[in-house]
Amino acid sequence: MNRSLQYRAGLTIVVMLLSIYGLLPTFKALSISGEEREAAKENPERLAEIAAIDAQAIRRGLDLKGGMYLVLEVDQEGMNATEGEDALQRVKEILYNRVDKFGVSEPEITTFGSSRIVVKLPGLQDPERAKNLIGKTAKLEFRLVRGETELQDALEKVDAIFAGEIPVDTEEAAVETPEDLVDPVAEPGTEVAAADTADAANPFGDLDEPAVEEVDRAAMLAEHPFQGRLIVQQGMMGGTVLFVAEEDVAAMQVMLEDPRVARKLRDLEFMLAMDPMTMADGSQIRALYLVDAKATVTGDQLTDASAQSDPDRPGGWMVAFSLNNRGAREFAKATGDNVGRFLAIALDERISSAPQIQGRIPGGSATITGGQAGFTHAEASDTALLLRAGALPADVYIAEERTVGPSLGSDSIRMGVSAALYGSLLVMLFILLYYRLSGLITVIALISNILILMAVLAQFDLVLTLPGIAGIILTVGMSVDANVLINERIREELRKNKTVRASVQSGFSNATRTIVDANVTTLIAAVILLMFGTGPIKGFAVTLSIGILTSMFTALVMARLMLELQTRNQGQTKMSI
Amino acid sequence: MEFFRNPKINFVGSMKGAFTVSMVLIALSLLSLIIHGGPRMSIDFTGGSVLQVRIDPAPAVGDIRSAMEARGYDGVQVTEFGSEDEFLITFVNPDTEAGAETETLDAAQMLLNDLRAGLGDAEIELRREESVGPKIGNELRTAAVNSVVAGLALIVLYITVRFVFRYGVAAIIALVHDVMLTIGVFSLLDFEVSLQIIAAFMTIIGYSLNDTIVVFDRIRENMKLRRKESYREVINRSINECLSRTVLTSVTTFFVAITLYIFGGPVIHDFAFALTFGVVIGTYSSMFIASPVLVWWYEKRISDKKRMSLEM
Repeated sequence: MNRSLQYRAGLTIVVMLLSIYGLLPTFKALSISGEEREAAKENPERLAEIAAIDAQAIRRGLDLKGGMYLVLEVDQEGMNATEGEDALQRVKEILYNRVDKFGVSEPEITTFGSSRIVVKLPGLQDPERAKNLIGKTAKLEFRLVRGETELQDALEKVDAIFAGEIPVDTEEAAVETPEDLVDPVAEPGTEVAAADTADAANPFGDLDEPAVEEVDRAAMLAEHPFQGRLIVQQGMMGGTVLFVAEEDVAAMQVMLEDPRVARKLRDLEFMLAMDPMTMADGSQIRALYLVDAKATVTGDQLTDASAQSDPDRPGGWMVAFSLNNRGAREFAKATGDNVGRFLAIALDERISSAPQIQGRIPGGSATITGGQAGFTHAEASDTALLLRAGALPADVYIAEERTVGPSLGSDSIRMGVSAALYGSLLVMLFILLYYRLSGLITVIALISNILILMAVLAQFDLVLTLPGIAGIILTVGMSVDANVLINERIREELRKNKTVRASVQSGFSNATRTIVDANVTTLIAAVILLMFGTGPIKGFAVTLSIGILTSMFTALVMARLMLELQTRNQGQTKMSI
Repeated sequence: MEFFRNPKINFVGSMKGAFTVSMVLIALSLLSLIIHGGPRMSIDFTGGSVLQVRIDPAPAVGDIRSAMEARGYDGVQVTEFGSEDEFLITFVNPDTEAGAETETLDAAQMLLNDLRAGLGDAEIELRREESVGPKIGNELRTAAVNSVVAGLALIVLYITVRFVFRYGVAAIIALVHDVMLTIGVFSLLDFEVSLQIIAAFMTIIGYSLNDTIVVFDRIRENMKLRRKESYREVINRSINECLSRTVLTSVTTFFVAITLYIFGGPVIHDFAFALTFGVVIGTYSSMFIASPVLVWWYEKRISDKKRMSLEM
């Protein structure tokens, strides 16, 4: 055996050993069955062991494993570049805190460009809950509820803004609404004026029973687009008598967010409740409060929050929190000054509850009970988590989302792998039939190619995705092509009655140029995809680029070595090709 | 085993026929594109949401559609996906001024909530959910176009360096031909062009180019070896000499693409279709388009006598 041959044989053996070594954890991870993983959940030691193996195995992408990919746009309107960058970084940190505590393994949160954050949550089980946690601003505020004296004036002002402006859907207007629920507020002035004369100690005392009249709702909505959508309901809720039917909430929200409303109402603000209440007849309504525009105490004074079971509601949960010294002082003063009034607790501009202030609350500890229905345990602990992690400094929108459920992930990997397997087997069978012994060498080169490619993925911690599997399949095609080029050239040379050894030599030297040219052009296409492509395209480009390099190695070094070894006999006249 | 021994097919002679067939096919593609108003872009490029859900008990496609339309999703698309109880629900963001400016807060979640509300008691398992805001959609479209254009430009550059400019032009004509026909087929069958399909286009480009370069390589070699033959003869000989390899590689790649199409599952179905079609069309174009374009170029520009003094 000559020097060059020895050298190449050594290189091949080293590469193959390294590849197999690099793939060992992957094989190990594959051999752990689903039941074993389930059983290991009880046993922390075994769980850590499995996690260590998984960490070294090929990482599966979100599409194969199940999980969520989010691109969040941070709203930087009104900020300069430094403030924007600062907000971006803070959002990232806060998100990291939130996601970390949510218990997703290996979350990835990175900034992208000047206003975006990419969040990757592999193996996520409950995307809805995760999105709720991520997208919430988590702004906690305490706001004093205003009484009826300001209410009528505020209602008139809002109506004046929108009168005649909001198109009235006649169909919507024609809907019969249950009369015990909806007071058409035919003459809103007199209705609420009645409240003015009510007992001062009972500010939302009994109003006159609303007169049930046949009203032309359309005409009324045109004149009073705001009040017309309100329902007056006594004694259901401390703090307010106003309610909105659930189907009107969206229209209401649009009106309330109009900047003219804030200008007109100045130091007051209408705020909707967080959750709807279900009435006896199954319809849903939501409370509407008139509160101070300025918060009495805000959430950045909060030092701790936790979920606790609610002693007043068996099975119900609440969020207990404590404030820092300054917050505690402000809170004590506000409660002391306003005994008997209602204090609304607003989370992200929605009121979760509005308890009546019984007396001064010193010490800065209090609880939030979750509206009418109370919190479930998950809701209470998520809310506590959001409060602890802090409020987002800016609004955050989901600009792009790709979520794959865990069941689809495993279906995809099964289908992708079996397609790759069938395709490769078919090709190998065909090559064996066509080239016989030389075909066997091609098949060995093909299998080695896939092994090396997988080992590179595992070692460099690259992610295997479904399009990535497609890239591997294409690599198999490229690899076959290189070997076909070589074998065809050798056949040609043999036809010219050259010796076997000479045929192999000149066959390779002729084929090499073609293979390099063909592969480099494909590599250009793959690298371009790698640079410009995002998400699904990237996974494809990664395996294709690596695959082109490994297939050149297996064809030009490994297959050549095997062919040369097989034909090294000087006098050999026949070759199985 | 051997398919072809010394084939002597007159590829260059059938150049005119092949050109005619290709022109007709390209015209059909363009016609379909004009009628459909361009290729049908997926939500990756238009912005919108896709839900893949498994619903138990499985409702009729029409029921899902009317449930969604009743909730204000005009133009929502509902298709069965892979099996009878699995559906793909696509809603493209309305193409309005307002739609382009406002980012969706969580469009996919809203769609899912509305689907749950619309179907009442049925159990809905979320298998996949994708949502692309209008801003990102625009960016992805730009990135996709950039990558295809940059890819083509660099490839011409490489071929010009490795061969000469006219080879690069001939290769690009073949590539544009391939991509046009693939886009045309997608338009005719009303398939969506998504990010995945752009990846398939790049693969087809790479594959077709690979084929073309193998033949060009042989032409270059034969131009030097057989100085007495005419361009026509040399090019025809080269295609024939490569025929065995071309067919063998095409057949094996075709095997792979078709197994991906059959067994790869519905998620990569369209991708695999594009690949399968591309393999066929790429093989055709390297034999009947790229090389004959070279013949045409030589015969127009460079006389056979002059060739003696040329490098290739």
